[in-house]
Amino acid sequence: MRFSGAFRQRVAEAWLEIRENLGRSALQALGIMVGVASVLGGFSISDSNQRRSDERWRKLGGIERMNVQPAAAMRDGSVTALQRANLGLRNDDAADGEALNSKAVHATSVQRFARARLRSPNADQERQVSGIGGDFLPLNGYEVEQGRAFSMTELAAGAPVCLLGAEAASVFFPSGDAVGQTMRLGDFPVVVVGVFRELVFRWREGEPNAMAWRNEIVAVPSALVAARMQGDRYERVDRMTFKIPELNLMEGFARDLASLLKANHRQQEDVRIDDIAARMRKRQSQGQVYNLIFMLSGILSLVGGGMVNVNIQLASLSERVREVGVRMAIGASSLEVFKAFMTEAVLLTSLGSLGGLVLGVGFSKGICVFLDIPLFLAPGSFFAAFFVASAFGVVFALFPAWKASRLSPMEALRYE
Amino acid sequence: MSAVIETRSLTKVFGVNGNAVHALRGIDLVVARGEFVALVGPSGSGKSTLMAILGCLDSPSAGGYSLDGQPVEGLSGSALARIRNEKVGFVFQTYNLLPRATVARNVELPMLYAGVGGRERRERALALLEKVGIPEKAGRLPAELSGGQRQRVAIARALANGPALLLADEPTGALDSKTGAEVLGLFQELHRQGHTVVLVTHDPAIAALAGRRIELYDGLVRLPEAKAA
Ligand SMILES: Nc1ncnc2c1ncn2[C@@H]1O[C@H](COP(=O)(O)OP(=O)(O)O)[C@@H](O)[C@H]1O
Ligand SMILES: [Mg+2]
Repeated sequence: MRFSGAFRQRVAEAWLEIRENLGRSALQALGIMVGVASVLGGFSISDSNQRRSDERWRKLGGIERMNVQPAAAMRDGSVTALQRANLGLRNDDAADGEALNSKAVHATSVQRFARARLRSPNADQERQVSGIGGDFLPLNGYEVEQGRAFSMTELAAGAPVCLLGAEAASVFFPSGDAVGQTMRLGDFPVVVVGVFRELVFRWREGEPNAMAWRNEIVAVPSALVAARMQGDRYERVDRMTFKIPELNLMEGFARDLASLLKANHRQQEDVRIDDIAARMRKRQSQGQVYNLIFMLSGILSLVGGGMVNVNIQLASLSERVREVGVRMAIGASSLEVFKAFMTEAVLLTSLGSLGGLVLGVGFSKGICVFLDIPLFLAPGSFFAAFFVASAFGVVFALFPAWKASRLSPMEALRYE
Repeated sequence: MSAVIETRSLTKVFGVNGNAVHALRGIDLVVARGEFVALVGPSGSGKSTLMAILGCLDSPSAGGYSLDGQPVEGLSGSALARIRNEKVGFVFQTYNLLPRATVARNVELPMLYAGVGGRERRERALALLEKVGIPEKAGRLPAELSGGQRQRVAIARALANGPALLLADEPTGALDSKTGAEVLGLFQELHRQGHTVVLVTHDPAIAALAGRRIELYDGLVRLPEAKAA
């Protein structure tokens, strides 16, 4: 190494070079800046959107779920005798499903719907009532805000207890003292043991709550619905949900579950298995398509900026090559010239990139405000934008040095 | 003591087979230390080509060249760069200064490549500018200087690392005769101080000032006898 004080010296030299060629450098950095800003902007808008939909899923109880529902068991319009004789989805199916693969399934819940007249001292309405079982609350994104959840014994025995969604609580007990009160469900009394936290999700600021309907829930043990409301000794359910945190076990479980249910249901395929994670994967790959589109548009504008850059570089190429010739004539080896250019390019692109990151954040913030969604910036987007733009910047800046390094000093000096 | 320049049958061919230009056809030249040589000859006779090879800016197609006792053929690019940096000071007709670097920085650059520290570079650059008579221009840009002053900067830069050989290809070619004479005076002064100088010129008067005069013609050294004949 012939440079003394090596690195710091080289950076100082590069900085001098940049200042000596301010116009050219500024344009170059500007090209990078615009590129980084557009890549980052595209990424963070797509990330913010993704984040938004993730949030919604989280409030719905997460994506690591598999829902099973009865299918409309019709073929060619009519119901077969077998189907009529069939019992549909039952509590037993849920238990069998859970036993099928205890490693994959971390939680199971069932839900049974009924309609009933609900009465409190303040309101008298007909509503849907959800008979719930298993780990219904966490699997569906409900949290108890006041009071408590059902105990295992209450669930098993079908005790006359109920949980209210925030809206239901405010309708039946407007003064906010629902817990401990009694209300009538059809012709028997139930005790309110808890109230759920209100679920709020707005696609955009100022829009109505997209989860308002979920706050209307009135939940009782599913065994209560079966025993007291429907007299269903088979304990049919309208939905069962399995929590399967390991997404790669989901597919195998779905297959096994399908054949189990088919066997349980006299070879009828009368259920629909909805693999939420698979749906999410699809959505995510759609998100990735958007990401790709944004990335492409970022790259396109980088290329556009790059073209401008190349033009600037080409316009000054002969001048730069001649400069390299001068440097080589007075003793710089092509390697040294290359290193100097490299340092300058890296310094310039870094500065441009930093500016671009600031610009990009502002840009995405602007768009997110316009779309009324909260801004989310993923660190990966920063790196991607930085890396892509820097690569472009360095390649474009190194072109003259590379060109000149292939010439003898005399040829470089005479370069037209 | 070995000669500063010693060439053996140097040839240089530009281009390829069909339209090859034989710029040099076999130059044998020896220049001793401390000589002042004027290289003359008509335009296109190969003077610049020879100077470029002597300055290790270009390589010959064939033949040998030793600079300051060291054969240069077969040396790597970076070894040649080092020779250009330490042993040769080259002055061009068109100055070849970096246009956006200050005068002082232009003079400092060869020292930068030689690894001289910042403070020493600055001091030596100022001393060299003093020596060529324009110390007050250190902070200026080349564009703010007259042609003669720019050529002085170029000479200061050529002297930066104390070269064994000063090469100047028509250093006064772009200057008016008065300034040209001043710049030439500077070369004479440097020669008196012990520098070995090879200088290309068209001007017979200038050539007369040199200790030795070598005439190129069509890529060959024209010998005095041949001229007499
Ligand atoms: N890079 C080159 N490519 C092709 N021909 C060249 C090149 N450089 C010089 N020549 C040719 O070589 C010959 C000698 O040129 P040069 O050394 O510049 O002469 P001088 O300096 O004596 O005028 C000329 O015929 C010129 O056209
Ligand atoms: Mg010439």
